[in-house]
Amino acid sequence: MAAFTFDGSSVPFDSGDSVLLALRKAGTIPGGTLCFAGDCPHCVATVDGVSYVRMCQVSCRDGMTVEPHPVGGAPPLPDGTTAHTAPLQIRHCDLVVIGQGESGSAAAAEAIARGRRVITLDSKQGADAIGIYAGLTVLARSQYGLERIHCDDVVVATGAAEIQPVCTGSDLSGIYTARAAEYLLAHGVDLGTVVAVGDPPPGHASVSGQLVRFEGEGRVAAVVTRDWDGTEHTHPCDTAIVGLGLHPRDALFRMARDLGVTVVGDAAIDATIPPPPQAGTICPCANVTADDVKNVWDRGFHEMELMKRATLAGTGTCQGMACLPHLRSLLADLGGTVQPPFTARPVTKQITFGEISAGAHLRAYPRTALDGEHRRLGAEMDRIGGWWRPWTYGDTEGEYWAVRNGVSIGDVSTLGKMIVTGPDSAELLERLYPTRIAGIKPGRSKYVLILDERGYVLDDGLVCRDGEYEWFLTFTSSGATFAEMWVRDWAESWELDVRILNRTMSLGAINVTGPHAKELLERVGLSDPPSYMGHASAQIAGIDCRVFRLSFTGELSFELHHAIADSVELWRALLDAGADLDLRPHGIDALLKLRLEKGHILVGQDSDFDSTPRRLHHEWAVDLSKEFFVGKAATIRTNKAPLNKQLVGLTMDGPAPHEGAVIWSDGDYNGYVTSSTWSPVTEQSVLLGWLHLRNGELPTEATIEERRAIVSPVPFYDPDGGRARA
Amino acid sequence: MNEFIEAKVALQWQQPKAAYDVVIVGGGGHGLATAYYLATRHGITNVGVFERSYIGGGNSGRNTTVIRANYGIPEAVRFYQRSLELFASLEDETDRWIMHNQKGLLWMTHTEHGMRAEKARAAVNTAFGAKTRYVEPEEIKEICPQIDLSGGGKFPVLGASYHEEGATARHDRVVWALAEGAMHRGVHVHQRAPVTGLLRDGDRVTGIETPDGPVSAGVVVSAVGGHVTTLASMAGLRLPIRSHPLQAFVTNHYAQAFDAIAASTDLLFYMSQTARGEMLLGAEIDRQPSYSYRSGHHFLESCAHRAMTLFPFLRDLRILRQWTGICDMSPDYSPIMGKTGVDGFLVTTGWGTWGFKAIPVGGEQMAQLIATDKTPELIAPFSLDRFARDRTLADRGSAGTH
Repeated sequence: MAAFTFDGSSVPFDSGDSVLLALRKAGTIPGGTLCFAGDCPHCVATVDGVSYVRMCQVSCRDGMTVEPHPVGGAPPLPDGTTAHTAPLQIRHCDLVVIGQGESGSAAAAEAIARGRRVITLDSKQGADAIGIYAGLTVLARSQYGLERIHCDDVVVATGAAEIQPVCTGSDLSGIYTARAAEYLLAHGVDLGTVVAVGDPPPGHASVSGQLVRFEGEGRVAAVVTRDWDGTEHTHPCDTAIVGLGLHPRDALFRMARDLGVTVVGDAAIDATIPPPPQAGTICPCANVTADDVKNVWDRGFHEMELMKRATLAGTGTCQGMACLPHLRSLLADLGGTVQPPFTARPVTKQITFGEISAGAHLRAYPRTALDGEHRRLGAEMDRIGGWWRPWTYGDTEGEYWAVRNGVSIGDVSTLGKMIVTGPDSAELLERLYPTRIAGIKPGRSKYVLILDERGYVLDDGLVCRDGEYEWFLTFTSSGATFAEMWVRDWAESWELDVRILNRTMSLGAINVTGPHAKELLERVGLSDPPSYMGHASAQIAGIDCRVFRLSFTGELSFELHHAIADSVELWRALLDAGADLDLRPHGIDALLKLRLEKGHILVGQDSDFDSTPRRLHHEWAVDLSKEFFVGKAATIRTNKAPLNKQLVGLTMDGPAPHEGAVIWSDGDYNGYVTSSTWSPVTEQSVLLGWLHLRNGELPTEATIEERRAIVSPVPFYDPDGGRARA
Repeated sequence: MNEFIEAKVALQWQQPKAAYDVVIVGGGGHGLATAYYLATRHGITNVGVFERSYIGGGNSGRNTTVIRANYGIPEAVRFYQRSLELFASLEDETDRWIMHNQKGLLWMTHTEHGMRAEKARAAVNTAFGAKTRYVEPEEIKEICPQIDLSGGGKFPVLGASYHEEGATARHDRVVWALAEGAMHRGVHVHQRAPVTGLLRDGDRVTGIETPDGPVSAGVVVSAVGGHVTTLASMAGLRLPIRSHPLQAFVTNHYAQAFDAIAASTDLLFYMSQTARGEMLLGAEIDRQPSYSYRSGHHFLESCAHRAMTLFPFLRDLRILRQWTGICDMSPDYSPIMGKTGVDGFLVTTGWGTWGFKAIPVGGEQMAQLIATDKTPELIAPFSLDRFARDRTLADRGSAGTH
């Protein structure tokens, strides 16, 4: 015979039995009034590694392991090594009907007759509604996995739960609700001598009088009732059956009432308010007694929500299904008014992390078309600016010197790239950027800041003009997504006639940099290189490129923009052509070192929320004589306030302090380092950092990591820029 | 009886008076802390706190109970460090159990850039007395044995800042201890008492309107969460605040085994085990501003998934309940406290996702301002006029979410 293990013992079962039914047949019964309907918390156990599973809601499987929760304690945290996973199903319909009892079936049938597409969910058939969310969206768990059902309407037909008895002895075993008793009898379970109170199941008569308590040691042995005249009667029994009325299972409705969800059948009935409990456990999940509630009430906790929070009643595994009727009754008895039930919140059926995350994904970090090339060359990849990029190819210093003394290539495909065209394109850019745009000639480029309305720097990049109405814009790698939003939003709100195309993903870009860059590019077909800050179309190694002459490293540099389908071919052609020039690629680690020697800021690393051009020493990139640009009014306003801090260059002997190190002036905190590196070419550590003015003056030196740092002009290397312009 | 049933606090409710020296709008942590410190530190007890719902029913009862001072700018580190001190002594001072528990907070990072940010955090924290240091993966594993340092092979843990004094306290208990302490000294706290308008004498605010009639006040303090811009607009004041939902969820309770508070900057979640044993998780604010308390399934699905990436043991835990609070976000992710330029009207707002951890210090400082009419040095940087004066508090990356 098929069997499962319970608490170390083998328990046989008949096909189709729930775990709780099989246990009952074997004579093992948890304490508390059992409902066999998934409402009460009395039969929770750890089933195949998952705790807080109601045994009445799980069908037996051969070989399954069921462990009772520790008495008076909580189950241990699992190790997560089980393989409980579920697929996600996304479904659409007109109507979801939750519950397939009489009223739910009728609601579904009526809708189907009217031609509506209906999905029904019923716990008895293994389809649990987890919650109703805006959308409308119903989340459910079924044999198919996690179901996310998008629909127009929801009918909640989840029926009603039976009210649990609360009195002395109500936590004994052998007590059943009327429906549970009926269910057990229908499955041939011998209940022995039965005493019923309240509304009994068919075929049983109730004893008269009011329920006072249950008696017994662990298991119920007698029911005690009281007559109207106060006389108590003891009724010996093997089993007690209580029929105390119904309480709607309306949590799904209450959490989504304002979303237009309807409720039908027993789930829509007015809740029975039972007689106020005088003794016994009101909340079995959190073990809260009637006396506990009274004590807390007496100390001023009268609101239902405060009572819940002060006792934890209703916050356990059944989320108030057992305690709510009694809590409302007792608070009404103490305060004179029946308070509304506490807020219903998802989830209505508990669900594991493994199940709920069926359709979830981690944020994707894109890779450039050259990703495979980097890894083939042994690069250490890292997430930088939202992309996977080569941090180093294993020899940062060698990569660095290749740029300074020879020639090197770097993958800058992650740059934000955008084409703007149209009759109003110059007007748009003139309003967006704080520098003059109209004077840029076709074939020329200009460095630009982007300011927000508060005059703070959002991003930087280049504006390159291709024609009267054609522009190419670049942004930082991490700023590209925001930039598109920013440019489009302004263009639309100004109602300008422009076309905007984000080409970040479709164009690759390779930076060729170093004193031998021109020589290398000549070898692959660039006969007429653009002058500094110019750009031109050219075929490089047979590939159509847009060649931009600019410099981030401080050396002679060309950026080759091209269709990403050609990236690998171009990259390899450059490596081949430069083999005898000791060409090697450089990673981000070397690039950051190179740019820092030049004092180029990294927006986001060197700048902060409140970085104005003035604070960044970038006033030269702002032309306040322009009629308008985004951030102009704020820039004028903030320029009137005394300057309080500035991004400055610093130099130090010895190794570079770590980025983020505190800058001290005369023993006081006075700022922090934003970028720092050992500069091989100047043989000192070079830094950028925020420094506060003291008495209106920038200090000329400071202390960092207990060493002296000198405030120094930037660039630290090749200050007149002769190398980049060579 | 469970050990967590509130066994000591006794709340004393009074009928509203027609006038108070100080009216505080909002009976959450900040409003009640202001009343508490007014009463205990300055002997000012003719104070009425008006709460539209029940005390602590807003964000004070919806947050994830983390207390920390590991901010990225001196002004914030100093401020929250003071809050840590006040929290640590609150149980002794009030003789009430707030379940204060110093657990240590691990703020994990998975990138070079993140490592730089966490090292920077440790540096500025150390400079201002907050105990934060950068820790390597081996030590992370010792502090938090359940972690998968490989991040499921996708988000390897490269390091973390470890904030040793990171702690938790039971949010409701903090609210009640402060409420009781204030009530016991004569402060009136009124529940189900919405404020429908402000009384004005010219530009000056002189009291509040309620459904039961006007209540005059020497000074009105807005300690409102969520709808603060509505109240401020009644004083003719426009606040730079946007309100965003923030969601959280808990599991069933399990035996105590997860000691630290764990967070990841790149995976954007944080987690701790409550005193009762539930695993408590939260994430970042919803991007779309809203006043809705409705919870979403995308948050639940995504946050569970991200947390499992570092903590595979979560896979078989059963989620019990999710909920939502409303965060008042300021442009620079720092609070806005103090004078407003409108006579008789003070604000304490902009509490974003960091309001709970500032409850005692926020109350202490607001009380001092009310009692002395001078802005205390500790909160001077957080004044509303900083936006006009170009003195915003830039704290990129350390605003966090919990």
